[in-house]
Amino acid sequence: MSDFKGLTEAVIKGDIQTAVAETQTALDAGANLQDILDKGLIAAMDQVGEKFSTGQMFVPQMLRSAKTMQECMKLIKPLFQEDELATKGKVVIGTVRQDLHDIGKNLVAMMMEGAGFAITDLGVDVSPKDFTQKAQEVGADIVAMSALLSTTMPAMRETIEALQEAGIRDKVKVMIGGAPVTENFASEIKADSYAPDAGSAVIAAKKLLSIS
Amino acid sequence: MPMRLPPYRPLSPEDVRKIDQTSRRILERVGIRILEQSHLNILKAAGAIIDQSDQKVRFEAAWLDEILARAPSQFILYSRDGKNDVHLGKGKVYFANGGRVFRILDMGTGGYRLTMLRDVAHTATLVHCLDNISLYIIACQAHDLQPQHYHLNDFYHALNHTTKHVMGGCDSREGAEQMWELSVFIAGEEEELREKPFVSVITNPISPLTIDGNTLDILSFCCSKSIPVTCAPAPISGATAPATLAGTLCQMHAEALAGVAICQVFSPGAKVLYGAVPTTMDLRHMEYTMSSVEMAIMNGAAVQLAMIYDFPIYASGGVTEAKRPDIQSGCEKTFSNLMVAMNGADLIHLAAGMLDSGNSISYEQYVIDNEIIGMINRILSGISVNEGTLGFGVIEKVGPGGNYVMEDHTIEYMKEEFFYPDLSVRCNFDIWEERGRPSMLSRANDLVDEILDDGREGLLDTDLILEIKKKFPGIQNL
Ligand code: B12
Repeated sequence: MSDFKGLTEAVIKGDIQTAVAETQTALDAGANLQDILDKGLIAAMDQVGEKFSTGQMFVPQMLRSAKTMQECMKLIKPLFQEDELATKGKVVIGTVRQDLHDIGKNLVAMMMEGAGFAITDLGVDVSPKDFTQKAQEVGADIVAMSALLSTTMPAMRETIEALQEAGIRDKVKVMIGGAPVTENFASEIKADSYAPDAGSAVIAAKKLLSIS
Repeated sequence: MPMRLPPYRPLSPEDVRKIDQTSRRILERVGIRILEQSHLNILKAAGAIIDQSDQKVRFEAAWLDEILARAPSQFILYSRDGKNDVHLGKGKVYFANGGRVFRILDMGTGGYRLTMLRDVAHTATLVHCLDNISLYIIACQAHDLQPQHYHLNDFYHALNHTTKHVMGGCDSREGAEQMWELSVFIAGEEEELREKPFVSVITNPISPLTIDGNTLDILSFCCSKSIPVTCAPAPISGATAPATLAGTLCQMHAEALAGVAICQVFSPGAKVLYGAVPTTMDLRHMEYTMSSVEMAIMNGAAVQLAMIYDFPIYASGGVTEAKRPDIQSGCEKTFSNLMVAMNGADLIHLAAGMLDSGNSISYEQYVIDNEIIGMINRILSGISVNEGTLGFGVIEKVGPGGNYVMEDHTIEYMKEEFFYPDLSVRCNFDIWEERGRPSMLSRANDLVDEILDDGREGLLDTDLILEIKKKFPGIQNL
């Protein structure tokens, strides 16, 4: 079977059920794994990216497509060798201490997940200690923090200090964002990266880990 | 001038009924998540159904009605001098500025900067002097204040710069206590403040369907002291609420009713405003859109929903995504303020000063919005039709071919019939050139300078100020 039309269409539509069934059919028919991935799933996501950038698709549709791809990946992943299919990077994300705003943070997490990062979402009101512990526990590549209150921004600095104290600051990259956060503030507290919205957060994260 | 019949209703009576029923079903079946055991216990003792496993409170219909029946349908947000009392529930529309931004567009420098304590004082002075803004909401974060005496300071400087009613958010119960102690001291007696509260407090649930323990601590404290409150849901269509206007309204109405009900459990008869801050997301790129035209429609509809229960409403209007006072800010602000006003909202907050999706303010925007609201008030007062205004007598007198310029009739009616703007440019072209080509914005800038240069420092009595400072050493000078 060399035609993945049904699969690509289902991914573009964000139709999880059909896409997973199509993947299973392809596997059962003995299709090449790399082909399912490249000509089926990735080809679909390329089209999604194209449609999104020309305004034919909106963010919820794009996220649904990414989610659909991930569900299909669950079937394919176990069949690949461990190192053939590494995830893009491990990200621990949360909204900082005393801040309960999570809409922007959730969007960033969804977009990054859609782009292939492994996300651990700690939710809101996350203390420096919790960020640090989780980062250690999962071996995070990136710690991503969100703050929507100018008064909770100092907690970002404290979290970076906590990472330092735990001796893992040089192992993780720190990304920050949220409406009151600025590029200047990021360099002031020595964060590695700032991004103004979810789309650019993905690009920035890839850049931090030197992946394309 | 009295308001006439509201001419625009986004929902039919049947729509209103369907939304209300759905909201009640949400409250009964889905419930509200409350993240604090002590409050769940209080609600349980009062008769609510508690799902202990997932920390949810559910409101059975008969019980909900019994609790909601305790809420007042009218009350007054008092000014300190009695000149600007806000009579809620009397069919009159009042406007307030918007609160708690972190950034200001500084026309002096043309750039943005963080807001400071002096901006609290200056915006309070602006509201004090602007006739169409009826009460002051603490406008911004004072970044030069330490957290421990935060609300002591922002309320003090607000109260010292306006005699209008002062509303504000409080970060914690301790913050609300500081604000209350200060207010009692200014009132003279606790009873006095209880009788005529000149301060009130804003809180919000977390959409969808969640209320934080800290928020409930603040509400329960304020209700126990008879300080008016609102617990105003801010659902975002397409993000924290369904991507349909009706669905967002169902969820918002459920959250708003829960807020009112919980306050009535805390203190029967508590002065609470039904709150509404429904907004939207631009789903093309997930840009938060506070000032979409759908926001205007939903806030208008929210007024209809509050009216079924006869609750005074704290609705929203006057927001914009524009980063400067410009064409976009002008039309976005006008749409929502007008639409919500035409639906007869008791109080429209965010109505003045806001820019940049609720993140920023500018002083100039305060005076511009004051003028927009002036025009809206003129629209609300409608066309007065009576023997005198029909003017048969003067029409007969002037007859065909004459003019009305010097007639008694003109002089009698000219002041009350027309709205006279301060900022709109109405002069002819040559005069406009002569005057250096003014615009609404340049004139707003001049008016701001005039108001703030006038040295209106310290409205509180000097002796009282000294006593306050002795009693509350945490107060900082400007
Ligand atoms: C919705 C909202 C709420 C909701 C939150 C619901 C929720 N589940 O998050 C509720 C009503 C609960 C709320 C509560 C409060 N809020 Co509020 N809130 C907002 C509002 C209107 C929108 C925020 C939002 O969701 N935007 C939409 C998302 C998509 O955008 P975003 O968060 O900016 O995220 C984008 C980027 O910033 C970036 N990004 C975000 N995070 C990250 C992280 C990384 C790593 C990266 C790279 C990028 C990134 O990407 C995102 C997607 O593009 C803002 C005003 C505004 N326009 O921002 C006020 C605002 C932030 N709130 C404010 C305030 C004051 C409060 C309260 C204190 C109010 C009160 N009761 O007094 C409480 C505080 C509660 C607490 N302890 O946190 C102020 C803050 C002022 C300040 N000092 O900074 C604001 C500016 C509004 C105002 N003028 O009052 N709020």
